[in-house]
Amino acid sequence: MEKIRVLMAVLGLDQHEVGAISVSRALRDAGMEVIYLGRFNLPPKILKTALEEDVDIIGLSCHSWEFLYYISDLVQLLKDHNAKIPIIVGGSLLTHKDIKLLLEKGVAAAFGASTPAEEIIRHIKSIVENQ
Amino acid sequence: MTEWQTQSRIPLKHFYTNEDVRNLDYQESLSDPGSFPFTRGRRLDLHPGAAWIQRELSGEGDPLTSNAQFKYLLAMGQTGLDVIGDTPSVGLIDPDHPFAKYTVGNQGVSICCLQDYRDLHKDIPLDKITISYSLPASFAAAGLYLIAQENGISPSKLRGSVIQGPLYGEDCGYAVHLPISLRLRMSSNCVEFCSKEMPKYHHFVEDTYYFSEAGLDSIEEMALGFVEIRCIIRDLLNRGVNIDSFAPRIAILINCRMDFFEEIAKVRATRRLFSRMIKEEYGAKDPRSWAVVITCHTSGLSLTAQQPVNNIVRGAIESLALAIAGVQAIEISAFDEAYRTPSPESHFIALRTQQIIQSESNVTKVMDPLGGSYYVEALTDEIEKRIWEMVLKIEAMGDPAHLSEKGIFRSIFTNAMERYAKEIKEKKLLKVGVNIYEIPEEKDTLLKEVAERKIEPYLDRIEKIKEFKKSRDQKKLKQVLEGCYQKAKDKDENLMYPIIKATEGGGTMGEIAGVMRMAYGFDYDPYGMIKSPI
Repeated sequence: MEKIRVLMAVLGLDQHEVGAISVSRALRDAGMEVIYLGRFNLPPKILKTALEEDVDIIGLSCHSWEFLYYISDLVQLLKDHNAKIPIIVGGSLLTHKDIKLLLEKGVAAAFGASTPAEEIIRHIKSIVENQ
Repeated sequence: MTEWQTQSRIPLKHFYTNEDVRNLDYQESLSDPGSFPFTRGRRLDLHPGAAWIQRELSGEGDPLTSNAQFKYLLAMGQTGLDVIGDTPSVGLIDPDHPFAKYTVGNQGVSICCLQDYRDLHKDIPLDKITISYSLPASFAAAGLYLIAQENGISPSKLRGSVIQGPLYGEDCGYAVHLPISLRLRMSSNCVEFCSKEMPKYHHFVEDTYYFSEAGLDSIEEMALGFVEIRCIIRDLLNRGVNIDSFAPRIAILINCRMDFFEEIAKVRATRRLFSRMIKEEYGAKDPRSWAVVITCHTSGLSLTAQQPVNNIVRGAIESLALAIAGVQAIEISAFDEAYRTPSPESHFIALRTQQIIQSESNVTKVMDPLGGSYYVEALTDEIEKRIWEMVLKIEAMGDPAHLSEKGIFRSIFTNAMERYAKEIKEKKLLKVGVNIYEIPEEKDTLLKEVAERKIEPYLDRIEKIKEFKKSRDQKKLKQVLEGCYQKAKDKDENLMYPIIKATEGGGTMGEIAGVMRMAYGFDYDPYGMIKSPI
């Protein structure tokens, strides 16, 4: 099987990056290929990179409430471009309600505080396989 | 910790004896509070209980909303103010920038122009209340300087503080997209300006809190803090500034985690290290230069999203350690910290915690009550030794400004975060509600709703700033921004003067930072979305 390609990004002005770096390392150690976009991204840039890099999944690290707004924009953009790339979201500030809301908005999976890396890896594999 | 060690991994014995303090010489290592090397306290205070400033983190919405928060906190007995800017403000971009939209006012106060400083400080007696700003230092000092003058208060009477963080901000949540040479110059210029114009103002706060929240331990926190202090001091001395003109106004804003004795020992070790360094290495002669002010935020990282009510207890334990250590100001990270800037409910609890420690516990009647404890003295010595070793090790690697550019510090922060997560995962560091004594999510309801309440972005504010920008005298604006650009090109100029002039002339933080960025050969807008006004 080919390596799973993951685009990892932080949204908007959110400056917290350690989560994204840490998860990226774990994914790489698990044999995935991570295209690391870093901080300061708006949805159009994420879409553009995802298409150019032909990724299997988009991972967003959120430690500011900006995700509440940008995720809807990104989901819509992907639809407009007929790009069926699943999105997963992680961040220590995600509450139970946030996770529910994100799933309703069309996110494939969302993870709150203290989620083990193995669980994220397991979810990514199953989401990509079922694509 | 489940292992027999401190949170900074210093090995511990089961008990300590006089053998552990064999080399301790009272005069040499401790001395009385207020005497060199200040291990036991910054000054001999005859009313120690009343000495620390109690302040909780504020800043929300537009400046007038935050002003109302100030008044609420002062009315409850708070003795100082502590305000943080929202994400765009601390990142030096204006609220009308396309990137700022969803972060305006929901994680701090949105502030960018002179009118904002007027609104934020409305009815606040600037010569009596101290305000600690977590905002870009040069701009906060300029804003305060201007409104003090407008209100007929001499800037020489202003108290309060600003944070200088040229080395680590870019990697730890305060990226301003300015080159390190400009960041360092702005720090030095601000310190030099305030030393002359606002001599009572603490213009040089070394904030070890925010960068150590990445998961650094106490040793790493203070070592990096000293590296930054020394880097700025060297820059000032190279500019011909006299050490005693600014050293009395250096303060360190530290972090306080849950390892009770280690944090107390850290404060004591820091006071001793600082006084020896400033006197013996930098030749400070004024005794006021030797005794560093230490203020503190209790650790947000030590708090948990699970069972938020437990965070109230954590705040109480951490602030008790600080009261015993004898710090000059305390801010307790509120129980909802894991999710948001403090709610009125969490403000109330945090402030009352401080007041109860001060008024009811009697711990503050005697200064440095742990002085002479075999354990605490041995730990103080060990921490001091380890901090200093790390400072020398980092400095041996090269100029800290270059290390910052090379990403050396960034890797320290990232590794620390991963180490912290691993310690929790492997239960080396116990966290009630996270890896021990957990309860099912559906039963975890106590104070959860308050903690999880979100603040909407202040979208109205964006329109207001757009209107303001249109209403300005464009010719004058262009002139003052050109002035900033030109002065920034000349490395011998003190940037505080053009910043003050530009702020007075209607310039905003984003615009002034942008033209200075251009003067250093970079794009006006780091996000490449808006055009320069000059």
